[in-house]
Amino acid sequence: MKLRYAAVFTVLSAALLAALYLNLTIGGADISPAEALKILFRGGADTASDIIMKIRVPRAMAALILGGALSLSGYLLQTFFRNPIAGPFVLGVSSGAKLTVALIMVAAAESRAALTSGALISAAFIGSLASLALVLTVSRSVGSMSTLVVCGVMIGYICSAMTDFVVTFAADSDIVNLRSWSLGTFSGMNMDNVRASAVVTASGLALTLLLAKPIGAYRLGESYAQNLGVRIKPLRAALILLSGLLSACVTAFAGPISFVGIAVPHIVRTALKTSKPVVLIPSCFLGGSVFCMLCDLISRTAFAPTELSISTVTAIFGAPAVIAAMLRQRRDRV
Amino acid sequence: MTVIGPNGSGKSTLLKTLAGTLKKRGGTVLINGRGAERITPNERAKQLAVMLTERVGAELMTCREVVETGRYPHTGRLGRLTQNDKRAVDKAIFATETADFADTDFSQISDGQRQRVMLAKAICQEPKILLLDEPTSYLDIHHKIAFLETLRALVNDEKIAAVVSIHELDMARIISDYTICIKNGGIFKAGAPPDIFTPDVLCGLFGLPRDLYAQYFKN
Repeated sequence: MKLRYAAVFTVLSAALLAALYLNLTIGGADISPAEALKILFRGGADTASDIIMKIRVPRAMAALILGGALSLSGYLLQTFFRNPIAGPFVLGVSSGAKLTVALIMVAAAESRAALTSGALISAAFIGSLASLALVLTVSRSVGSMSTLVVCGVMIGYICSAMTDFVVTFAADSDIVNLRSWSLGTFSGMNMDNVRASAVVTASGLALTLLLAKPIGAYRLGESYAQNLGVRIKPLRAALILLSGLLSACVTAFAGPISFVGIAVPHIVRTALKTSKPVVLIPSCFLGGSVFCMLCDLISRTAFAPTELSISTVTAIFGAPAVIAAMLRQRRDRV
Repeated sequence: MTVIGPNGSGKSTLLKTLAGTLKKRGGTVLINGRGAERITPNERAKQLAVMLTERVGAELMTCREVVETGRYPHTGRLGRLTQNDKRAVDKAIFATETADFADTDFSQISDGQRQRVMLAKAICQEPKILLLDEPTSYLDIHHKIAFLETLRALVNDEKIAAVVSIHELDMARIISDYTICIKNGGIFKAGAPPDIFTPDVLCGLFGLPRDLYAQYFKN
């Protein structure tokens, strides 16, 4: 078992470094890998160095940080609902955040106010908690996960429709980036965004690791966990708040990104063959980073110079994993 | 102490109320003389371990990992197991004869084996009180007897109080120090086994006609 953990962590770390290298060296502008590396480590003052330092580095960092955050957010929701097909996208959490962020963006554009990263995250957090509250209210009256997911998807559609409405009627000049953002993208990141999401995500990751022990006991079921001394209500609240915060941070900067939250934890669990939180939490994060960096690379290089939305790519690779997760769950229940 | 009674009479409700899983509907639960609400969850977990009839979640966990969760109240913030904790886990696995499948996935073993793993988990929690809800229902005769002997040894040697709901009346009669009969959500009768395990009490408790009782319980 230990060997398997070590192997998976080695592969993930190697993949992370490789993805980082590819993301920094491949792109539309004709910069050779050697030149790119030189700029990274020694700096420079020409256009090439601007492309590397102001476009590729923030973008790669955003995919690394936010990908991890998204995967972790999914893991927390799966723990909460004790179901592997829970995730921020299918439960409508991402779309709720998208709506509030779109509203605040348009409002800021109308009044010509500048938006700080903090304001974006706060707006997204409110949106994600609002849709989580809706989903939780529904989950109280219906026990079945499939009903919950259908409900989440519906909430997602409603929020997306309202976002489209807002985006369509906002003045075109205000929303150059809004349209692509509302489909999900890592483009247009600046270092300020990266710093803000790094702070939020790092604290989210640290807090989640502190919850590893009660999450471990929670795996047995609520009654057993309670008997082992877990304070159930605070734990459940913490799971929801952390998950909401992490996915809010992602949506605030990169828009709604589909399937990562379910697919990555599922792939990681299958590879590790364990549900130990101390192992799963960091590996879900790493896995999410790798997955999003590679998907982002594909989204901007596959049909360059046309860029695909990140969700298009994550869906192609993520959706099959989600189906696999559902099939496996069916089999285990029998 | 054993708890016997018909299906749906309130045995599980009683045990869950004692464990604090269910809100009590009246009365007082005392744990070692202290009101149960006044004990912190972690303190209660060191005093009291349960085995329930509900399905155990345990996705992608080996049996050993399930047993290890019993050390939860004894470990620190990060839940790392010390040598001492590992010894307690091994001891519990040995006592319940679960070593053969300790490293198998919990979802891959049979219901009876699961019951033994859950007993091991309860044992390595090192409680003063064990609450066991129909812990022997899926066990074969060998493991039923082994289970009850293990329990008996815990009660005699480690001075643990065990409250066990059970349907096997023949065995209940042998292992009990005290028996409570539950019927329709209340206590029908309580006392030492010789006073309880009589045709009169059992027929009254389970609503059995005397002739059928005589036919099935020859002794």
